[in-house]
Amino acid sequence: MLPDFPPPPQPPASPARKGSSDEDKGLVAKTLAGDRDAFGVLVERYAAQARRVARAVLGDPDDADDAAQDGFLSALVKLAQYDTRRPFGPWLMRIVANAATDRRRRRNVRQAEPLDPALVGGGPRPDAAAIRSELGARLRAALGELPERRRMAVVLFDVEGYSHAEIAGILGIPEGTVRSEVFHARRRLRTLLADWKEQAR
Amino acid sequence: MKDSQAFDHRPDPELGAALRAALDPKDDHKAFVARVVAQYERALDRATVPTVDVLASWFRPGIAAAAAALVAGFLLGRTVLAPVPASIDAAMALIDGPGLAALVTASDPPDASVVFSSLVDQR
Repeated sequence: MLPDFPPPPQPPASPARKGSSDEDKGLVAKTLAGDRDAFGVLVERYAAQARRVARAVLGDPDDADDAAQDGFLSALVKLAQYDTRRPFGPWLMRIVANAATDRRRRRNVRQAEPLDPALVGGGPRPDAAAIRSELGARLRAALGELPERRRMAVVLFDVEGYSHAEIAGILGIPEGTVRSEVFHARRRLRTLLADWKEQAR
Repeated sequence: MKDSQAFDHRPDPELGAALRAALDPKDDHKAFVARVVAQYERALDRATVPTVDVLASWFRPGIAAAAAALVAGFLLGRTVLAPVPASIDAAMALIDGPGLAALVTASDPPDASVVFSSLVDQR
């Protein structure tokens, strides 16, 4: 059980992010007015992020792309429900995360992907180049071992840079739970990364 | 990279970069964007058509329910609003034979044969 974490101060939104948020709102307004190109710019802006988040849930890149697409199109249909006083990214990521979770349930994808023991440690040690090339596979396998919510929390926090409060909104869980999930995920992933660095020396 | 046992509320850039590299799609970003945008009209159409279908599917049972409610209301109203006999004599007059009148007006406890004959008269 984790100790009670003191509520950390959330870093203020960076100027770049603030500007991006304002641009997002303009693009949303144009999309709502029927501007297809504005929707295209929104997709362009968030595609990589949506695909990574979906891949963190689903593992398989093709499934993840399908889920990310479902998320974008679902967001398009629901765009009138978006509250423009709030940032667009977390709202969209919530829809994408739900689309990925729904797809995983529909396809009965197992939460924990089967792991290759050689990828998560304990197997024979390959040479440095092979180790480096395997890091991505190891991390994906390790992510697959984590509970789905933990996976999403660490990816949204460490990869996408969302705050705990935003992730709490995206995942629909309390902020304290987000901190706990990120902590546990990091503990596992950092150990893996440290092992990899050790092998690469 | 930071101590794996310590809690830190700031993003870990090293872990973040490694995860990003692991999760980043390798194929063409533009192709994905084009694929999503190509679904723009279809998504909006799909969002409209089912709404109409749903409303239509609600409409038919709605009419049936309203008709059933009208019939039930009519039958109930007819029962409740049926004319009530003006007096006890008028009520007695509706039933043929002396059985029931004798039973109601008698000061002594009823005889079983009177009750029986009253029932038989009503049949």
